[in-house]
Amino acid sequence: MNLLEQIKSDFSNYAAQAEPGVFFDKRLEAFAELEKFGLPTLKNEEWKYTNLRKIAEGNFTNTCNSNLDAKTLIEAGILNRIECNKLVFVNGCLFPELSDFLDEEPGVILSNIAQARKNHTSIFDAHFGKYIKLEGEGLNAMNTAMMSDGAFVFIPKGKKLRYPLMITNIVDANSHPVLQQPRNLIIIEASASATIIENYIAVGSNSSFTNVVNEIFVDENASLEHYKVQRAKGETYHNNYTQIFQNGNTNINQVTLTLDGQWVRNNLHFYMNGQNCNSLLYGLYITDGNQFVDNHSRVDHAKPNGFSDEKYKGILKDQSTAVFNGKIMVHLDAQKTNAYQRNMNIILSNDATVNTKPQLEIFADDVKCTHGATIGQLDEEPMFYLRSRGISENEARKMLLNAYADDIAEKIKIPELVQILEEEIERKL
Amino acid sequence: MLKIENLKASIEGKSILNGINLEIKAGEVHAIMGPNGAGKSTLSSVLAGRADYTVTEGKANFMGKDLLELSPEDRAREGLFLAFQYPVEIPGVSSTNFLKTAINEKRKYLGLDPMEATDFLKFMKLKMEEMEMDKSLTSRSLNEGFSGGEKKRNEVFQMAMLEPKLCIMDETDSGLDIDALRLVSAGVNKLRTPERSFLVITHYQRLLDYIVPDFVHVLYKGRIVKSGDASLAKELEVKGYDWIKQEVEAAV
Ligand SMILES: Nc1ncnc2c1ncn2[C@@H]1O[C@H](COP(=O)(O)OP(=O)(O)OP(=O)(O)O)[C@@H](O)[C@H]1O
Ligand SMILES: [Mg+2]
Repeated sequence: MNLLEQIKSDFSNYAAQAEPGVFFDKRLEAFAELEKFGLPTLKNEEWKYTNLRKIAEGNFTNTCNSNLDAKTLIEAGILNRIECNKLVFVNGCLFPELSDFLDEEPGVILSNIAQARKNHTSIFDAHFGKYIKLEGEGLNAMNTAMMSDGAFVFIPKGKKLRYPLMITNIVDANSHPVLQQPRNLIIIEASASATIIENYIAVGSNSSFTNVVNEIFVDENASLEHYKVQRAKGETYHNNYTQIFQNGNTNINQVTLTLDGQWVRNNLHFYMNGQNCNSLLYGLYITDGNQFVDNHSRVDHAKPNGFSDEKYKGILKDQSTAVFNGKIMVHLDAQKTNAYQRNMNIILSNDATVNTKPQLEIFADDVKCTHGATIGQLDEEPMFYLRSRGISENEARKMLLNAYADDIAEKIKIPELVQILEEEIERKL
Repeated sequence: MLKIENLKASIEGKSILNGINLEIKAGEVHAIMGPNGAGKSTLSSVLAGRADYTVTEGKANFMGKDLLELSPEDRAREGLFLAFQYPVEIPGVSSTNFLKTAINEKRKYLGLDPMEATDFLKFMKLKMEEMEMDKSLTSRSLNEGFSGGEKKRNEVFQMAMLEPKLCIMDETDSGLDIDALRLVSAGVNKLRTPERSFLVITHYQRLLDYIVPDFVHVLYKGRIVKSGDASLAKELEVKGYDWIKQEVEAAV
């Protein structure tokens, strides 16, 4: 069975015994979209360089069985150093033993989706599926139709999540190829704030496909720190669609770190639905072997006085490939928009490839926007300077690459996470 | 210490050094002067090992080793130091970490244990006092946002930290104000020992008032066309280079 056949069969099993209601209707609608559009192919402009064939033809199993114990999971990389709220999922299902909440503020809800649907039905139904685009987005439709469990976060008006929430998704591909479709719903009400870390890891030698959808709603005057750390080693395929819908006067800092993964596609979409939105999008990818990493982003400046700053930096080794596609859309209404976008790449081998496409589409007339992309090797001048002081070529290269990556690391406001990143950089270089 | 014989070098097929002969013995100070574009920086770059240049002929022996065979880092570890005419800014690399790495890589090469962190900091503090360096400069990224003069002073400070055998200074005096020139010269004079040699590239006599050279050479069109003692620099200050150029043209 290929992926679509599998999803269809899973969906008919699910539909046969599903309870009617808002949730089921959304999934039914999503399934119809999936049947209509199917999965994206290279003919789709947004998927021109990103081939889903191996995934579409993959024979993955959508079950959460795993024999791993807590200790093994921790060793696999749960980032225990960070003091935080934790939700851990293995092959898409909650692993309660490692899930633990430090915040106990009344009104704040941290939960898995399965629980939240029962205990907080009205909030869940009001937001679920409201922000994510299904039309023409086969993978979003597929996630919505046949989603696994995920995180549910609700921060009520004026409240602050004191500790970050770390959502860890672990693939256990020890016994069979794994399909998991994590689905997270994050609601930050007016003047509230939260920090969320997504952490992806994998164990086992079989392949896996992780298809994530994040729906994030940030209401007026609220703020969000959002980090994504991709460290799932092995034959892992990973698609992530993060939709952030922000109302006026909101501040969002988003950092995407892609270190491991055979095939990774990050889709990040900010929609500014109010004035004075402030959106920061930063990313770092370090690829080696025959890794493939695609960062697709889109920022919709739909209202005036918005500010967005995007900077993605890559370091490519071996035969790896990176794609960057960033689109800034400044709508007719969005006067006084300031939008900046840069993609920089350092290529350390002759066999690595970068396809980069920064895009600006501007319909307002009073805006300040810049964009640009660079692809090159390490500068020779600093390299020679360091070597002329007795520093070996290797060490000099490391120092310069660290300095280059630091530019993104300093956007991370959790010191332990910065430290973890530095160790990962050391490992990858 | 350094013996250069008939050194010829080119870049992109264009010949820049056309047969340099120069011998520097331990403890000597040599000054190289010459008009813009003569090849002074090229000579210093070739000695430091910049890969852009192709050595087409000649030899350079440093401390008994074939200098041209060594990598830039090994040249530095053997004791050669180039204070750059245009030091590069390296954002994100801390000055302190850079110096510590440089010192310890050299120590490793020489078979010594790395310097302990506290010993290193003490040593750095001492050298900063000796060179009258502003503390704020070493707490920043390497040369980032430094003024022209600050960059030059930082070169001399690095020289003090790395304790080389041969110091090549490429126009370290250019861009320095009068006080900074005095400080840099005093710093260099503190570094002078009977073993340590200097090759000072400059356009101006005023530096040589402080650092008195044993020999002065004039480089023109990739050759040393005249050598003399300290008085040659004074003569050039008065007469310029035309008379030398004419002598060279006449000889052709
Ligand atoms: N990368 C290069 N490509 C082409 N020509 C070069 C290159 N680098 C240097 N040259 C040429 O080599 C010649 C010597 O340059 P060099 O920098 O050594 O001169 P210099 O004596 O140090 O001059 P100045 O006193 O102005 O510093 C010049 O004509 C210069 O244009
Ligand atoms: Mg020069």
